[in-house]
Amino acid sequence: MKSTALLLAATALVAFGSAAAEAQERVVKIYGFGAKSGVVRSFGINSEAAMKAAADEINKAGGIKLGDGAKGKVEVEFLDDRCNAEEGISVVRRIASTEALVAVGPTCSNVAEPLFGVLQKKAGDAGDTGLQFPIFTDVAVKGGLAKISEWAFRNVPSEAAMYDKLFAWLKTTRPELKTIYGGVEEDFAHSRATWYSVMKEKAGAGGLQVKGESKWLLADTNFSTQVREIKAAGADIVAISAHPFTTCGVLKEMRRQGVKPKLLIGLTSSSSLETLQGCAKEAEGIVIPTSFAPVTPEAETAASIVAKFNGSLDLHSGAAYENMFILKDVFESMKVMGKPDTVAADRDKVRQGLAKLQTTKGLIGTVKRTPDREAEKPFLFVYAKDAKWAVLHNPMN
Amino acid sequence: MDFYYGLAQIIGVHTLLGLSAYMVLLTGQVSLAQAGFAAVGAYVAAMLTVLAGMHLFPALLIAGIAAATIACAVGFPALRVRGLMLVIATLAFGEAVRLFFFNFDYQIAKGEVRVGPLGGEGFRQIRYFPENGWTTFEVMLLIWAIVAMVMAALWWMDRSRTGAVLRAVGEDELAAQSVGINLTAVKVSAMAAGGFIAGLSGGIYAHYTTHIEHANFGVVLATFAIAYPILGGLSSVFGTVIAVVFIQGVLIEGLRFMGDWRNLLFGALIVLAMNLRPHGLLDPRSLAMLRRLVGRA
Repeated sequence: MKSTALLLAATALVAFGSAAAEAQERVVKIYGFGAKSGVVRSFGINSEAAMKAAADEINKAGGIKLGDGAKGKVEVEFLDDRCNAEEGISVVRRIASTEALVAVGPTCSNVAEPLFGVLQKKAGDAGDTGLQFPIFTDVAVKGGLAKISEWAFRNVPSEAAMYDKLFAWLKTTRPELKTIYGGVEEDFAHSRATWYSVMKEKAGAGGLQVKGESKWLLADTNFSTQVREIKAAGADIVAISAHPFTTCGVLKEMRRQGVKPKLLIGLTSSSSLETLQGCAKEAEGIVIPTSFAPVTPEAETAASIVAKFNGSLDLHSGAAYENMFILKDVFESMKVMGKPDTVAADRDKVRQGLAKLQTTKGLIGTVKRTPDREAEKPFLFVYAKDAKWAVLHNPMN
Repeated sequence: MDFYYGLAQIIGVHTLLGLSAYMVLLTGQVSLAQAGFAAVGAYVAAMLTVLAGMHLFPALLIAGIAAATIACAVGFPALRVRGLMLVIATLAFGEAVRLFFFNFDYQIAKGEVRVGPLGGEGFRQIRYFPENGWTTFEVMLLIWAIVAMVMAALWWMDRSRTGAVLRAVGEDELAAQSVGINLTAVKVSAMAAGGFIAGLSGGIYAHYTTHIEHANFGVVLATFAIAYPILGGLSSVFGTVIAVVFIQGVLIEGLRFMGDWRNLLFGALIVLAMNLRPHGLLDPRSLAMLRRLVGRA
């Protein structure tokens, strides 16, 4: 009888102990999603590595302090949406069906647009049956997407501000440059929108004469016709609004045809390792505004940590890294509980917390948040030099 | 559950697309134009609900009719070619439609924002379902009600004289013509009916994704459309459903946890399935067996 009582007491103690430990440390799962296959797979791979690296840093520092005082250990899971709208929606529905409180992604603007449309437009609108799940975008950079839904937040740079400053800077430092010609990856939402709505407009406003544009598609591999058009235009500046893969194709063809403009300008997304791996020689001198370069101790440390997770930090994966720390702060300030029975309330807390932010800490400086849930990130002008990105000018100074 | 309802929506829309190709395949025509017809349906339905403020049901009907009309127009010249030439001709048509929408701008001001198709940037804010209080479950029910109606119509047609005529043309055009079957009428009708179903699928697709762009309706979708009935088997309409569940449910969604390996397995499993079931997942033998089983029960 006595031994039975002792056994019961021991069992109860073990059960209580494990429950107490569980209450003390919970798992906070943060999902990432984006393209991990297809032409833009490197973006998803880098974002995943950046998120995992950041989660590791957060956990090493003690994890997230939850609303009831318990510690939350961050776990990251990353799902591939293949840069496909239907799959992106399906992935987020899958994530939202779990106890996840937020998701970071997607890679492609053509996934972000439908996905944000599926979310509830105005938070708390009972007449709108859209999905009520916060999304914090790291990569999809096409302008103005977060205004589609109050559940959508982005930590992506404002290309309008970047190219505006770039052309203004060129006007003062390179007054001999008078004309510009564009090269556009026409079938990709981001590159197309950036040329027509940003680069072309800002170049004109900056006093440059826009001599036209040449077009190609993301899957194109032959650019001889387009480069002949570029050559015929004879512009001082050639601005290539395309992702690394076709940017390299065009640059190689320009080299073959002996096209040497006075200045090459690239798309923000091409300020990555992929461009240098693909065509460092041909890209030599290309100027690109970017929201990431290892110019601060924090950025240098982050880049080395992400490299250990087999990723490379650039303006996109840098945002994924930042998002994890921003989310940690939001979870703590909004006293998120991280319990299965508080999922809906916690998601709303995350949304409100993200909406409240005025500024966030970025890897190269303070990031301002705008009322329409976008970011105003600090940026630099970098140029390709000896197979590396070197800082050309820092407009923040 | 929302995830499963969402998945059922995707399967439903792709089933409609597969059935549109099934209809055309019955007459022995291999068409890669179904994605083009779906694009027409998607843009027409979205423009009617977003720009004209029309109710979804008439918008879908008009979208189907618009796609059918264009399919009918495609059907006539397509009569002159067959086999591989028809594949190329319909593929070219599909690309022409895609490129049309790639360059198609028609935006109007609605409140503070401009809405409508904007060329390569697509057509956003097609939010009929959430704005009218439709839950994911209700949208799924609507889609499957339409799928059920289309399947019932095709199933009935398959058992009628019309079905026999379609299959006769598909089996041997010369023999069918020699017994007085009007090839032109049969082939064009099949193309138009297939176009109508593809238009419906496009119209629904536009509304559950809320955003459409030319790239959604490219060669990949056209290939999927034709792959569903071929992989599922042409013996019965149910083969197409099985193939869509296999591809969309098992290969794409079910294997998502496999990460990068999923894409490798995707192709390998389709090749394996076609080798193991050369006459389709639901081949005539399996169908006969099922009929016997149902008969006994």
